Amino acid sequence: MPTDISTLESLEIFEELSSDDLAEISALLHAVRVGEGEVLTRRGDTAHTFYIVLSGNYMIYFKGGKAFTLHNRGDMIGVATILTPFRYRGTTVALTDGEALAMAGDKFLELIQSNASLGDKLLQKLTEVIHQRSSYLEEATEANAH
Amino acid sequence: MTGIEAISAHNGWSIAIVGISIVFSGLVLLSLTISQLHKALDIWERRGAYWERFRRRGPETTETAPERECIYLPPNVKESARQCRLLVEHLGQPFPLPKLLEFSDRCGLDHPHSTINELLLARVIIPDGEGFYLWNDNVEFTS
Repeated sequence: MPTDISTLESLEIFEELSSDDLAEISALLHAVRVGEGEVLTRRGDTAHTFYIVLSGNYMIYFKGGKAFTLHNRGDMIGVATILTPFRYRGTTVALTDGEALAMAGDKFLELIQSNASLGDKLLQKLTEVIHQRSSYLEEATEANAH
Repeated sequence: MTGIEAISAHNGWSIAIVGISIVFSGLVLLSLTISQLHKALDIWERRGAYWERFRRRGPETTETAPERECIYLPPNVKESARQCRLLVEHLGQPFPLPKLLEFSDRCGLDHPHSTINELLLARVIIPDGEGFYLWNDNVEFTS
């Protein structure tokens, strides 16, 4: 079932998008309920799903024990879906019950590649997130390579 | 003279009532002691902080200790926080958050994920900026 457009409008990642773009994205996203202790992504697995947090609290941890936590609506999980080699760098576990919007990784990549203007806007937001997490991602990539 | 008659004649009923009262009073006293034991243990564990507070009140003390933040925690989380503190002592600081979660789970802590989340939100557990975490000793729990 497509996600409500008003829900998407309230999220920072989609705030600059037109209603047509939002309609296109809403068809690809679906809401998923997450239980306390549930694992959303596992380090080393193929990055099959991209998540946007609607509610709840999450921890992403990496090899070596480094971790950060997500507590805000609009936080993103699974940016590896658009980064080669398309494998999750970290493991994400839900610290509380919550809800997230999920999108298949291949659909997300296809969306970014097929619609240049939409892809550009989304990549700007995603680049910020990747930049914030760069120290974790780089170390995780090195650790996975060894 | 035997049976009920003998019991009545030798104050048996009174003795029985006194006996029952003593036993029940003992049990009530014991249960009250056990129910309040955690407070006594809490004071014992925080004896350093209490002693420090007592010293600060003294007229000759001039050094100022860091401001302690008072944080409200529900009673069950407060108890879990106490257990987490012991685990952090074992892990050393800074500590990896996933390890604390793993140890809490193994030790049978009730709802380890949400408890650690509560502690993160209450800033009892704080990030060190390098991906590891520290226990904030400048907080005092109230419930």
